[in-house]
Amino acid sequence: MRYAVVLLLAAVTGALLLGAAVRGPSPKAGEASSHREAPLISEDPSADNTDVYAFRSLDAPDSLTIISNVLPAEDPAAGPMYYTFSTGARYNINIDRNGDGRPEMVYRFRFRASPPVAFLRSTVQTYTVTRIMGGRSTVVARGTTPPNNIGPRTTPNYRTLAANAVGTLAGGGKVFAGQREDAFFADIGAIFDSLGFRRGTGTTGGGKDFFAGYGVHAIALQIPISQINANNNIAGVWASTDRPQVSVRTVRRTIRVRRNGKLVRRVVRKRVIVRGFVQVSRLGNPLVNELIIPTQLKDRWNRNTPATESTFVRFYREPILAALINRLYPGVINAPERDRDDLIQVLLTGVPSLNFTGTKQVEMLRINLSIAPTPANRVSRLGVFGGDTAGYPNGRRLEDDVIDIAERAVAGKLKGNVRADLLGDGVDANDVPSLPSFPYEADPPSGFDNTKGQQKP
Amino acid sequence: MTRRLLNVGAVAAIAATALLVGGALRTGETSVAPPPTAKQLVRAGLEEQQAARRTGDPTHYTRSERFLRQALDQDPNDLYALIGLASLSNTRHHFREGLILARRAERLSADTALVHGVIGDALIELGRYEAGFRAYDRMVALKPSIASYGRVAQAQTQLGDYAAARKTLGLALDAAVDPETRAWAYTELGRLDRVRLRFAAAAREFGKALAVSPGYPLALEALAETEAARGKLGRAIALQRRAVERRFSPEFAASLGDLYSVSGNKAEAARSYARVVEQERRLARNGVDTDLDTAMFNLEHGIDLSGSLLLARRGYAKRPGVEANEVLSWALIRNGRCREAIPYSNRALRFPDGHRYFHRGMIESCLGRQAAARRLFRRALDTDPNFSPIWARFARGQLSS
Repeated sequence: MRYAVVLLLAAVTGALLLGAAVRGPSPKAGEASSHREAPLISEDPSADNTDVYAFRSLDAPDSLTIISNVLPAEDPAAGPMYYTFSTGARYNINIDRNGDGRPEMVYRFRFRASPPVAFLRSTVQTYTVTRIMGGRSTVVARGTTPPNNIGPRTTPNYRTLAANAVGTLAGGGKVFAGQREDAFFADIGAIFDSLGFRRGTGTTGGGKDFFAGYGVHAIALQIPISQINANNNIAGVWASTDRPQVSVRTVRRTIRVRRNGKLVRRVVRKRVIVRGFVQVSRLGNPLVNELIIPTQLKDRWNRNTPATESTFVRFYREPILAALINRLYPGVINAPERDRDDLIQVLLTGVPSLNFTGTKQVEMLRINLSIAPTPANRVSRLGVFGGDTAGYPNGRRLEDDVIDIAERAVAGKLKGNVRADLLGDGVDANDVPSLPSFPYEADPPSGFDNTKGQQKP
Repeated sequence: MTRRLLNVGAVAAIAATALLVGGALRTGETSVAPPPTAKQLVRAGLEEQQAARRTGDPTHYTRSERFLRQALDQDPNDLYALIGLASLSNTRHHFREGLILARRAERLSADTALVHGVIGDALIELGRYEAGFRAYDRMVALKPSIASYGRVAQAQTQLGDYAAARKTLGLALDAAVDPETRAWAYTELGRLDRVRLRFAAAAREFGKALAVSPGYPLALEALAETEAARGKLGRAIALQRRAVERRFSPEFAASLGDLYSVSGNKAEAARSYARVVEQERRLARNGVDTDLDTAMFNLEHGIDLSGSLLLARRGYAKRPGVEANEVLSWALIRNGRCREAIPYSNRALRFPDGHRYFHRGMIESCLGRQAAARRLFRRALDTDPNFSPIWARFARGQLSS
């Protein structure tokens, strides 16, 4: 879940931000009650899937590129940089071939830490990509991330450093993992206060990109379309992150071992990690977690797979954001508040004759791989709404303006509400251009050159 | 730091502007600010608790409660208003109330991991350890995260399974991103070393915490205590003074007073102890139940022993956990009622530490069983040579006489 968005949407959708992870006190009398309190931790950024992109690109039209971002809001000037992938977590890119919400292909990234510099975390990490397909796991890549972009003296020629970190996938394709500029763009500051407007409005530009100058960590794949092999050429894509589960008590179990040719029983104490991994985050379509799923179900939603999305369908049918828009702009937008089968179609089944995957309700990013990429000068930031079927919600490109698209979709554009087009956040493009080739997402801003001082609201 | 900046920016923005709409609506710019929504109040309430955690200043509790109650007035089913109030009750040591509120939150969403964390926090303080540990297990099964790893590690430490606690804290450290959270994880790792008397290793971990988050008060305090345990009193005092400057905490002030006291500086010790009294009053004014803490402080320092027994009994009635058993047994011992102290001492020794062995030794001594007393004094000092700056000295004196 995108933390910064959630932060603001809290006011509205009931997303939680803070307060998670308050370690209550367990003071020992006569000892500091403060001793036992963990800091207030509102989120788990290194497991937090913030955005997923899936597109065919002009320079590699025969491949599907998938980018999954985690660890939002990395401040490049934050001094010794601790932003790294979690070594305990599993980062997954899931691909569904048949619309059932179960992944036929999983690309799983696991990271290791490099030896620390002093005890400060080195930001260079090695990683392994395992593909799980048909019950078999195969290591398809081993790679190394570039260091985070510190500045021209510590990390000179960053473009070259990053380019050298692009690896190959066994059987064809490319892979990258490491720090990037956050390609998401939105005027988060302006989006969710209830009743004021920033000078200069949505459809006329003038918003502030809250994400300008911040980094993320990305994992990226470029897979030959011939390997995807999806029904009707329509693939479903989502990202997920798992963390190891532990338990308070050590689990003991008896195993049989062969000793001197005889089977003997031995009690082993299985430490800490007792039940494998628990999925703690997932993301397919942008903003679903923030705009659709109510607070009290967020943990459950993030734990579930897209295959069980039908249990959440009523929240798609009556999205809270539609009611909010009407409350904020009474009589102006008139967003339909119920019976939103139009949203269910876009988000859960796919749009007929575009990227329909069947009647089963599955929340994932769908991409029709037979639609060719749009030439750069004809790309519409509004994707399909702008007549450009190679963009969101048919896959998602870096330049797709998903905030404006989502606001207008929720306001009823698909139900013919022309007033939906009044909505927008005034930020129409990312603050930096994408790269022309894999991994496309731009190099991260360096600490040395950081510009946040001027750019941040 | 980053994340906090972003946080602050976002909060400010909440109060600033909104959904941007086309030219038709531009006049909205001058509209009057509406009253805060329940969600905004919840945010503000939780931010106050975050501030309290950072500074220790209990006036944040009072403000947090006001915001959260207002939020609940607007929306009686706001999950995080309930969780926030439950956690606030726990922070103020009203654990029965915290449990009731957390159970209400559980009825709204048994699927939310944090609910079970707050339930477990309350249960453990109420002495219901097995149920509390189960709540933590449920929390981490729903969502492994720093919050749940931290709680599980504390439970494992309490059970004496230090190897497991170390692994769990390793996962927490791995998941931690911002400096303060990393500092917290290093500090907890250092405590595991400290408990096992690996002073140098502990000091290294506390040093890491201070390197990633300079001046992090919990690490300063822990490092000061470790230096004192290693006999480096001067360094301990310097570190503890910094900790006291950086964080409102009667416990920190009491420790500083003890350090001055054992170093022979009675005047500074008295000033620190006066600060303890003043800060505890301020805690009480802001709704914190300080009965057990005040009783413990007084018993340690020989102040108003009969009044402290009353306080300890009152505290025990409200939160009969292992700490209350410890304080009450110590209060009975200090008032010469050693036989009565035995059952409380037994329960406190369910999770033994240096203090609790020492108290048991005092019971034995008081009942005239000097050999047993000496054995227990030795055991207390072997477990923790610095279990209490003042009473560890006393125990050593008894052994050498």
